[in-house]
Amino acid sequence: MDSSENISEKKAEVILKITSLLMTSGANTNRILLIINKFAELMNTDAQVFINHKALIISLFDTETGFKTTQVKRLPNHIVNFDIISALSRAGLKAQKESWNFDKIKEEINRIEKFKHYPRIITLVAVSFAGAGFCNLFGGDYVNMAATFIATFIGLFVRQEAVKRAYNPYLSTSTGAFFAAFFASAAMTFMPGTNPEMALATSVLFLIPGVPLVNSFTDMIDGYIITGFVRFINGLLFVIAIALSLFIVMYIFGIQKL
Amino acid sequence: MNIEISIIEKIIWSGIAATGFAILFNVPKRLLISVFSIGAIAGFIKFTLLLNETGIIFSTLLAASFVGFSSIPIARYKHTSPFVVSIPSIIPMIPGYFGYKTLLGIMKLAMSKNTTLEGEILMSVLHNGLNMTFVLASISIGVSLPWLLFREKGLKKIKLTDNENLI
Repeated sequence: MDSSENISEKKAEVILKITSLLMTSGANTNRILLIINKFAELMNTDAQVFINHKALIISLFDTETGFKTTQVKRLPNHIVNFDIISALSRAGLKAQKESWNFDKIKEEINRIEKFKHYPRIITLVAVSFAGAGFCNLFGGDYVNMAATFIATFIGLFVRQEAVKRAYNPYLSTSTGAFFAAFFASAAMTFMPGTNPEMALATSVLFLIPGVPLVNSFTDMIDGYIITGFVRFINGLLFVIAIALSLFIVMYIFGIQKL
Repeated sequence: MNIEISIIEKIIWSGIAATGFAILFNVPKRLLISVFSIGAIAGFIKFTLLLNETGIIFSTLLAASFVGFSSIPIARYKHTSPFVVSIPSIIPMIPGYFGYKTLLGIMKLAMSKNTTLEGEILMSVLHNGLNMTFVLASISIGVSLPWLLFREKGLKKIKLTDNENLI
């Protein structure tokens, strides 16, 4: 009797882990439910999940043993990582095809959990090129693009350092935006180019929280209004953090028009 | 500079912007080329429509629905979620510029001492804020359009037991 209860609780723990990995990596609610349902079905359970920004609640009915268990899990800070989402949805398909058992699923989840990001220097250079690309799209010339490249590189470096020291996420974004905007404004005087305002305007675009903002609207379309609203407000707070830093920098340099 | 060259330049740079964000979001290496090409074609659609004086909202909607539809066969071929390909490709279109312009306007309004300029600032806040909301909504609708239209298969998957839907 006792051991079968244990098994049900272990199943619930694994499903909670999958859900929290998906949520913190930036999947939308519909995608999360699709993937969980696949795994829950394989474990012979019926999973009812409530998904929120900071905590998850799961109620699991084990059809094998007849036990019912409810568990809650708090979530760590969200860091977008599409490699984990891709691996989990792939694992779901594979597990369904080969009808994996519980131990195999658990092993795979533990493996996926340890996935690493790209090396830091590659991320820095790639995002700086993306910033330069934004500058081109907004009508800057190659001098402005070089200014945006440098500003983005410094801003992202500062934000990564702040995130590493586990500061408040909004504060980290704000600090990154401040440094990026500061160096872009300084570049406006040394290398003006044809469109100096655009270098400043695009230097902070890499901080815009695209994933929460897009997910908020897709969630609302799918009917998960509360989750959608929470994500939208979260995204908006990041935008406020960016705008605040931009305002301070524009005040320091006396820039009126943007 | 003539228009053709500047459009080709913009296409390449929107592809590079999409790939840069894909690397920030840790998209697997095998998907980066697809993200680059989808982002570049979406940029091409958006800028040609903008040049022909289609509004920013409608051109974003069309480009985003192209991304949504093309991500599905690629995801099936590469064995991943369509989501992982479509979101990084759409990131260059996120209305971040409108977003912080809105908030800068609000801050200016709070600090303004000149009452005659306030009406103008308020209108620009409203304009930028509405643009941000509608562009975001059109991106989301465009990306999830295939999902919304061909829902049947998805619904079958969501149903777990015979009589109960999940949530």
